[in-house]
Amino acid sequence: MIEFNDVTKIYGGDVKAIDDISMTVEDGEFVILLGPSGCGKTTLLRMVNQLESISQGDIKIQGQNVREMDKIKMRRNTGYVIQSNGLFPNMTIEDNTMIVPDLLGWDRKKKKDRFNYLMDLVGLNPDDYRKRFPHELSGGQQQRVGVARAMAADPPVMLMDEPFGALDPIIREKVQDEFLAIQKEVKKTILFVSHDIDEAVRMGDKIALLRDGKVQQFDRPSELLIRPNNDFVSDFVGKDRVLRSMSLYSVEDLVTTFGLKNKEDTITDTKEISIDTSLRIAISMLLNQEADQLVIVDRQGQAKGSLTFDLIEKFLHQEVKGA
Amino acid sequence: MTDFLNYVQREWGTIFSYTLEHLQLVGIAIVIAILIGVPLGIYLTTNKYLAETILQVASIIITIPSIALFGIMIPVLSMIGQGIGFLPALIALVLYSQLPIIRNTYTAIQNVDPNIRDAAKGIGMTTFQRLTKVEIPNALPLIMAGVRTATVLNIGIGAIAAFIGSGGLGVLINSGISRGNSNMVLAGAVFVSLLALVADFILKFIQARITPKGIK
Repeated sequence: MIEFNDVTKIYGGDVKAIDDISMTVEDGEFVILLGPSGCGKTTLLRMVNQLESISQGDIKIQGQNVREMDKIKMRRNTGYVIQSNGLFPNMTIEDNTMIVPDLLGWDRKKKKDRFNYLMDLVGLNPDDYRKRFPHELSGGQQQRVGVARAMAADPPVMLMDEPFGALDPIIREKVQDEFLAIQKEVKKTILFVSHDIDEAVRMGDKIALLRDGKVQQFDRPSELLIRPNNDFVSDFVGKDRVLRSMSLYSVEDLVTTFGLKNKEDTITDTKEISIDTSLRIAISMLLNQEADQLVIVDRQGQAKGSLTFDLIEKFLHQEVKGA
Repeated sequence: MTDFLNYVQREWGTIFSYTLEHLQLVGIAIVIAILIGVPLGIYLTTNKYLAETILQVASIIITIPSIALFGIMIPVLSMIGQGIGFLPALIALVLYSQLPIIRNTYTAIQNVDPNIRDAAKGIGMTTFQRLTKVEIPNALPLIMAGVRTATVLNIGIGAIAAFIGSGGLGVLINSGISRGNSNMVLAGAVFVSLLALVADFILKFIQARITPKGIK
């Protein structure tokens, strides 16, 4: 758990980079610090592991005040990933990954086992990469190693500063998915800086949207999209915020409340999609006029009925208006 | 030309012992210069203000003509009875080495990718661990370049130190000039150049050996 109590950061006597932030990241929760550049999100992250000092207020990790902890020990027990991966060019992938266990004095056998486990976890073959150097790897591979390194000593808390920001969009999405799968398995408490609303919505259990060092809204992604607190939030998440929010629901969410229309056998131009499909994709398919009838099939491959615009409208009405 | 080769053949023993003397002077000077310059260069990265001053002083020293520097040191070191000979020559060479070694070390450490330094800090390395595990290994090629420059420079200046009786290949040049023996002068000059080439080659080899594989 990470607790922020009235945290403030003042530069040069009067510039408030962080202005009285209080929030709590629960155990195993994945929280995104989102905002435009200069909003203070990276500063706030770096205050947690004391790379930036705290001017006022307290930050506690697992109930312990970070200011009272030994900086070196605390950082070794906190995973840290940065955008440009920060791998050490002079060290092999194994040495890079095992740097924290090395500092902690683990024995060779334990380090080797841990390296093999972590490489498997991030989807790289341990033996292929053990003796290679960072510059021999692609950006995506380097970033996976960066993630593995941060998890090396199994820290409960991970701090990630735009870790996937430098990757090209296709690789980024793949690495994001992989990381979500890893997170499902390891359940770390994660604070993750991003400036990308799509990434935030995709990855976060909760999003803290910052502006000028203040939290504008701290909520679940769907709440942020559907019920923005103020104009800044709604501008930041974009005019298509409701459409975006539909990616957080599956067709099944709609089916459980409203059911489906009966499938009309007279219409021959039909297309079948799975009940797991996100609502955003389903709506796009309707808009694309890909077929006259969109038939929803369950996991057993049974046709459940057809999806229409008025069902989606009802669903939106319920979710957005809260009726 | 044959005349010169005959001279070299005849005087081989003398030339060789002067070369060894020269090598000894420069070698000891470089080791001392590294022991002073590298730590100083690293330290200066933590103190920008002092860095400016020290680098300026080192720049000024290197502009002092060597003959003048020897001249200055004679009265000073005479107080401990070492006005001429090995010691003043050694001190001069150490001083001349400081600029290339300090500046290269300073620049090399400063130019280590700030992201790497940030990662090293965020991972929980102490300042010393950061230096030994990350910063120095990644700065090594540039630090070594400074050492190589200083070595070649010192081999050249070492020849002039013969004027104050430090021995070495400068003696050949010196006495060659006063005796009007051009073969002697040429032998001195050629062996100074050869020594510089060989020393640089050996240092290049050492540099290749100690540079981490990942940054080659």
